[in-house]
Amino acid sequence: MSSLLLRGGRVIDPANGVDAVRDIVIRDGRIVELAPGEHAGRELDASGCVVMAGGIDLHSHIGGGKVNLARLLLPEDHRNGLEPLPLPDNPLEHASLGCCTPGTLTTGYRYAEMGYTAAFEPAMVFSNARHAHFEMGDVPILDHGAYVMLGNDETVLEMIARGEDFERIRDVVGWTIRASRAMGVKVVNPGGISAFKFNQRALDVDAEHAHWRVTPRSIVRTLARAVGELGLAHPLHIHASNLGVAGNIASTLATIDALDGHRGHLTHVQFHAYGTEGPKKFSSAAQQLADAVNANPNVSIDVGQIIFGQTVTASGDTMRQYANAHLANPRKWIGADIECDAGCGVVPFRYREESYVNALQWAIGLELFLSVKDPWRIVLTTDHPNGGPFTSYPHLIRLLMDKTFRNEQLAKLHPDIASGSPLAAMTRELDLNEIAILTRAGPARLLGLRDRGHLGPGAAADIAVYRDLPDREAMFAKPAWVFKDGRLVAENGRIVAVPTGGVHFSEPEYDRGIEKTLADAARRRGVLDPTRAAISRDELCTCANHGALLPHECKLKVGAP
Amino acid sequence: MSALPSSSSPPPAWTCPFCALLCDDLSLQFDARGTPALIGAQCPRASAALARFDDAAPPPPCVDGQPVALEQAIESAAGLLRRARAPLIGGLGSDVSGARAWMRLADACGAICDVAGGAGQSAGLRAMQDRGGYFTTLAEIRERADLIVVVGSAPGERFPRLWERIAPSEPRAIDIVLLGLPTGTEVDDERARIARALPSATVAAHAAAPDLHAEAATLSALVAQRQVAGASAAQRALAERLRGARYVVLMWESGVLPPQPELVIELLQRTISTLNQSTRAAGISLGGSHGAASAQQVHTWQTGLPLRTRHGPLGLEHDSWRHGVATLVADGAVDALVWIASHGGEPAPPPDWAGPLVLIGHPSFAAAAQGRSAPSVFIPVATPGIDHAGHQFRTEFSVLMPLAAARAQTLPSVAEVVGRITSKVAGA
Repeated sequence: MSSLLLRGGRVIDPANGVDAVRDIVIRDGRIVELAPGEHAGRELDASGCVVMAGGIDLHSHIGGGKVNLARLLLPEDHRNGLEPLPLPDNPLEHASLGCCTPGTLTTGYRYAEMGYTAAFEPAMVFSNARHAHFEMGDVPILDHGAYVMLGNDETVLEMIARGEDFERIRDVVGWTIRASRAMGVKVVNPGGISAFKFNQRALDVDAEHAHWRVTPRSIVRTLARAVGELGLAHPLHIHASNLGVAGNIASTLATIDALDGHRGHLTHVQFHAYGTEGPKKFSSAAQQLADAVNANPNVSIDVGQIIFGQTVTASGDTMRQYANAHLANPRKWIGADIECDAGCGVVPFRYREESYVNALQWAIGLELFLSVKDPWRIVLTTDHPNGGPFTSYPHLIRLLMDKTFRNEQLAKLHPDIASGSPLAAMTRELDLNEIAILTRAGPARLLGLRDRGHLGPGAAADIAVYRDLPDREAMFAKPAWVFKDGRLVAENGRIVAVPTGGVHFSEPEYDRGIEKTLADAARRRGVLDPTRAAISRDELCTCANHGALLPHECKLKVGAP
Repeated sequence: MSALPSSSSPPPAWTCPFCALLCDDLSLQFDARGTPALIGAQCPRASAALARFDDAAPPPPCVDGQPVALEQAIESAAGLLRRARAPLIGGLGSDVSGARAWMRLADACGAICDVAGGAGQSAGLRAMQDRGGYFTTLAEIRERADLIVVVGSAPGERFPRLWERIAPSEPRAIDIVLLGLPTGTEVDDERARIARALPSATVAAHAAAPDLHAEAATLSALVAQRQVAGASAAQRALAERLRGARYVVLMWESGVLPPQPELVIELLQRTISTLNQSTRAAGISLGGSHGAASAQQVHTWQTGLPLRTRHGPLGLEHDSWRHGVATLVADGAVDALVWIASHGGEPAPPPDWAGPLVLIGHPSFAAAAQGRSAPSVFIPVATPGIDHAGHQFRTEFSVLMPLAAARAQTLPSVAEVVGRITSKVAGA
């Protein structure tokens, strides 16, 4: 059997407590240890390089209905004025373009050449699940998975409103995960998407849904408990109430409180950490949120850092996207109410350095990164594409690792932020170990990917080898080598092989009796009946372009938070 | 060839692939000739399509009118495409897996891709790219619409089960307005279809004055409470009803609106936008049958750009006006046509196309590749939702419906045939 030895790199593998110069051996797609006296078939000289596991993005809108609507809405992102963008000069790449709304093919190429080997779509609409899996199947190289949205579907809201037994609701959650082949569950503006269909324009954590009379607090608590008891590795993924609203720190803290000790992952928290102080009644509440995260070990977060420039926000949160649609740049946006199940809002956006609000958002994101103490509970994201495209990750890493660079950028912003932000006084610089936790080891642990995100023997050989350059942006933009399941896929920022990635999904247990309730509800609402709504493994294989199926067994854990 | 499964078991649920509603509440039974028919539901469009299927042996592949083996037909198709400098892949009547396959072929031979009758789909897209819009889906309409305004067409003609699909399980008051239908007969027929499915709905019809563009503009202005000189009492009353409804649905078919449909659609979306400031409203566009919506989705997600894009040497050149089937054929701007139509009688290849043709279609298209003077290849293929499982997008572009095979059949799928042609084109 042929094996490959990466010789003499600095191996940074925080999941195994390793930061040392050592060799890594790859065989049959796995990391192995050589037996005494055994030699590897081939060697690569990794001296002067930093060796990490492949990057894992646990929140990136890479596929599904709203992502494709964003592409349809913005042909501007796929041409240069009136001229077409040039074709890739790499014969391995099919024609595929775009920056903030990249085609699925280019999504895979660009992630892989930065050293990422997995990305997770965080907002899969149940009735659109097959579409999401097809799109992710057309994202080459990367492994992928998705969180299915619940808590705005009329079925669960009605069950909570009627006070049905928790176990029955847990069964619906379990069935929904299995039927849609989801990795996790996300709740978006709990109850708010549904409430908007009933013409409700705001929904605070303890306010009632206009029709079902349930509160976001009860929805969050119910779903967080269900996800925990079903034994999913990833806690409930929460896009909290009041996204983008000045003073929303109160509802974000109330959402943490609503968890009642159950685990929860609050996503793109930068958009949920605003106070009402100062002359513009819009201020940073990053410290308050960081304090809450530091004090609540059941809570993890990803940041949703904004990056200046053109992007598009694609969200399930119709209520908040409608409220922000007047800010669309260019001035056009798409919204939709979807199948008694969900919604979507696609609003193009340009974050400007000279804007007070945008500069504050930028600073809040960085303050959060630098204020949360436990790196295992904070993940590096831009909420691609909502805060900015994922291709800006190397830039973001440099901002976190290089205080001088950070302060140079801060000085370019709106003067009130440049002079008044607490960020200027923050001296912390993240080190390579912390970056490795924020970008691979931490997300792997939060997703329960036991053989990914680390470099111990037996782990999948998803590996990125970076040259240890002082300019961390250059370092993380074009790793020397990227391996996916042991196969060299990118070299010096150029794709050299295009394998098909696998699909991660969870398989919780539930009482099959719930399918009759779901069939009745489906008939009443005119949606696809549960037997055909469920995606079989064979069908998933077709959707996922015949990539590997990566099931995750779940054990029911009743009672304990 | 026989029906699946055996006739003693109850008929399995079947999803119909023959229009973009993709009705999933149907079953089939097969007669002695192997021709399927609907059980327990009426749909003239589905019935007409199903009548094209039977147990007769399919015609063989042909090259220039002569029967050949499949392998030779694939080789001839690849040769024809290797010689082409500006090919067009049109029709695109297939499912998502078929679309994945012709995307690779387009890349390999530098083609432009467009659906049949793409003018309507691209006009709807242009309207969206200019201003965006707010949309809804069938189940949402069924759950909450209290006022539905159908603009400029009788959708039941092309989507016969539309009104059944949005009929609530428990009847409630729904007002339906047919706005700007061209003829009285169309109004009467649509009224009858609505009455059958939604007996409790009230139906009113208004002519467009003086035309649909003006009608949509007047309505948009009245809903925004602007003064409109010359607005009729009926127009003012309709605007008031729109403002007073809880959940308004505006419904249109961009494929049959009058010329420059995007201008009408923009005005309808402006009306929706105004209504959403105080109540709730959303639009639904009907169209995208025979895999047209699926084709648009797959092309967009893989490349980032929609159909009507040339996979050319300069890059991906999207041109919603120049790169349509009708325009390219009329202008002689392409030198080979691959036409994909796996569902049955539609979509037919453009009758005025006289150049080299690769027709990958339902067996009933065999004659269309006969007696031509230009090089012609015909390859019969299986139909998604009849002969093999597959996926097609419903009219709203959000729900992706799974299709199941209804019988065992031996013809290859579009995905298989196109994949084999692509290997030969790319391997040259």
